[in-house]
Amino acid sequence: MALTFTVHGQDTVPKLFRHVVRERGEKTAMRAKDLGVWRSISWREYGEKARHVGLGLVGLGLRPRDVVAVLADNCPEWLYADLGTLCAGGVTNGVYTTDSARQVEYIVNDSASRFVFVENEEQLDKILEVRAGCPELVKIIVFDLEGLHGFSDAQVLSFGALLELGARYEREHPGVWDSLVELARPEDLAILVYTSGTTGPPKGAMLSHRNILFQLGYSDFLTMPRDGDQQLSFLPLCHVAERSFTVFYPLRSGATVNFAESIDTVPDNVREVAPAAFFAVPRIWEKFYSGVALRMREATWIGKVMYRWALGVGMRVADARIAGTRPSLALRAVCAVADFFVLDNVKRSMGMHRVRGAATGAAPIAPELIRWFMALGIDMREVYGQTENCGLATAMPHQRIKLGTVGVKRPDTEVRISPEGEILLRGPHVFMGYYNNPKKTAETIDAEGWLHTGDVGEIDADGFLKITDRMKDIIITAGGKNVTPSEIENQLKFSPYISDAVVIGDKRRFLSCLVMLDHETVAQFAQEKNVPFTNFASLCRAKEVQDLIWGEIERVNRQLARVETIKKFRLIEQILTPEDDELTPTMKLKRAFVNTKYKDVIDTMYAET
Amino acid sequence: MPRALLEVSNVETYYGPIMAIRGISFTVPKGQIVTILGANGAGKTTILKTVSGVMDPQKGSVLFDGKAIHGMDPDRVMRLGLSHVPEGREVFPFLSVRENLRMGAYTRSDPGGIAQDLEMVYEYFPVLQARADQRAGSLSGGEQQMLAISRALMARPAMMLLDEPSLGLSPKLVKEIFDIILRINKERGVTVLLVEQNANMALHIADYGYVLEVGRIVMEDACARLLEKDDIKEFYLGVKEAGVRGTRRWKRKKTWR
Repeated sequence: MALTFTVHGQDTVPKLFRHVVRERGEKTAMRAKDLGVWRSISWREYGEKARHVGLGLVGLGLRPRDVVAVLADNCPEWLYADLGTLCAGGVTNGVYTTDSARQVEYIVNDSASRFVFVENEEQLDKILEVRAGCPELVKIIVFDLEGLHGFSDAQVLSFGALLELGARYEREHPGVWDSLVELARPEDLAILVYTSGTTGPPKGAMLSHRNILFQLGYSDFLTMPRDGDQQLSFLPLCHVAERSFTVFYPLRSGATVNFAESIDTVPDNVREVAPAAFFAVPRIWEKFYSGVALRMREATWIGKVMYRWALGVGMRVADARIAGTRPSLALRAVCAVADFFVLDNVKRSMGMHRVRGAATGAAPIAPELIRWFMALGIDMREVYGQTENCGLATAMPHQRIKLGTVGVKRPDTEVRISPEGEILLRGPHVFMGYYNNPKKTAETIDAEGWLHTGDVGEIDADGFLKITDRMKDIIITAGGKNVTPSEIENQLKFSPYISDAVVIGDKRRFLSCLVMLDHETVAQFAQEKNVPFTNFASLCRAKEVQDLIWGEIERVNRQLARVETIKKFRLIEQILTPEDDELTPTMKLKRAFVNTKYKDVIDTMYAET
Repeated sequence: MPRALLEVSNVETYYGPIMAIRGISFTVPKGQIVTILGANGAGKTTILKTVSGVMDPQKGSVLFDGKAIHGMDPDRVMRLGLSHVPEGREVFPFLSVRENLRMGAYTRSDPGGIAQDLEMVYEYFPVLQARADQRAGSLSGGEQQMLAISRALMARPAMMLLDEPSLGLSPKLVKEIFDIILRINKERGVTVLLVEQNANMALHIADYGYVLEVGRIVMEDACARLLEKDDIKEFYLGVKEAGVRGTRRWKRKKTWR
């Protein structure tokens, strides 16, 4: 019944991996830093390590369709574990390293994981703490043994030991690998992706080989791959977007994956790597923008004048592209000059000068920000998707840009709007359902095969989809007005001083918001203005900072309808990290959680009149 | 709250192009001991140098007893009653202990008072009297630290800046010196700004503390409360909860709350 999708003539991830390893051999598959120096890993080595992981797991008792969890930050071992497991007929399941021991226990048990790969001592401690409550668990494999000398445990082994087991298993069972690789069928479950779940416990979304191969078939929409292309991996691999980009996309494109040392070194690593394709969430793009905005404020007057002029030229070219017209020859000539003297340098300072395809997704972004990157000459495209449709439902086409929309549907899929305004999707990208949870699956995929996204939106005459908000996020004020908070929040986040904001006002008399400051830029502002402050809370309380943020809110208010304006705000007086419950692993504030946690603070805004 | 003797407001200090202190503000109330904690390179010494006039801030103000002292030469600052005991003692090695102490009173012209204060420091540190004629360079590290503190006291300061008095000393000596710092503060009413890596000691004698990380203050509170904070316990006091394996090498992330 279902069609088969192939990439390089292969119809499952294991077969595709085996094929590209043979084809590419000694070409570089990935790079990671070792003691500060980039080290290359070839496709041959990638293939060999993954094979030994897979055979090692089989030697330890892995059966087809067994689930293997990976609890690690991005690193080559993550990929060896992932593809090793898939090729051996298993299913991989990424777990966020920021999850607590309790959350890890829940996911390991819900997915019935029999093996867990952990990055290091820190992650190992989590699983050791809860393993008594994980009856299915057979073995724990540790990537990095630092700090574990002298530690031994019957259930724990090192990654090196697993590779040796695998090599021995291969010698004893020659030829078994090829039959394992052939095991999976396209419609079989390949990976589990737990959705962070702002309400209720996380659910494991099941993605098949077909889902992944189908999406890989469209991955060239961003840019045609070229030899020697680089990309950088830094967002959590547990997220479907980064997983597709780092693990699966290179199987199609042959690009080299470079692992960032940590999330804090991303700006430096981008400069070192100079990627050709770059995917990031809006928060990262905002950081790049505020970095340049901040540097320009400290530039010499001539630098400022040049930047303003060049950006103006770039904006006119970008606007022409958005309008769908070709800029005049004169404008293109001026733009080439602007690029040569200014814009190219700005791109170089960010490490973006080789970017041919840039994508933003996973959260809403301010259209102004996209326009800014386009003005620099970076082809920035918004994509929209969810875990449940394997990451991509719509994308901005190359030929036609409509800012404020998320582009058109991926070809060979269907999209429509339900009578309630909800976005529905159907096609080979729709997932298999939630693991061991037919009830939730039935709530998400209806009898006709439509995936209910929970997002509200509209489709225009040209087929461009505009997302208004999450279904459950829509605010209805006490006056009965419907307000879509994310639009306002995106405008607020465009300010270099605001890192995130949550608009409040459901069943309230007026709108207000909670604001999370961008620590670095606000601290710098305070220094410039001679505002004394000590710790973060005192920075938040400084009158000048309060005025600054109110000024930013006023700026946004001017663009809003009168009922929608924000009347009051409060700052979150703590530095939040992804370990905090307030934030998702991609550093977004969780609306529902923030609403409850800061209830007292919120109430003070409505108590006074 | 007693009125602030020292008020530092939004100070930025550079070493060439490098901003070592990035907009720092704090106050030291009269008669109190205030401590600034921080790792190597956090900017602790730079703060003291900026206050005492050895370095000049690019921006911000330093008020001592209500008077602006930033940009002033160190000797004028010292004449106003602010003595700096630098890191690593810096005694005059070829002068005798007594000569070193008299150097501390260089700006004074009341022989009677000087003699009185000499008696006072000998009372605090009897070992200095025993070694009065010995060259300062031949003293042990602990004795040199005592001499440096005494030399500062000889100027009859209203306030002392102490830069890591515990550096390189045995735990017993550290305890002794901190006890005397506390006595000087209580008995003579000398206000103290103490910069330390030995957080445990500093938090136990000081009234109020600031935590400095890469040129910025990340935390401030009364010392009694700082001692209770998880971040302080783990990163400055070395207290760790035992993990499932008994030992734990990794550190959790700092949150400063």
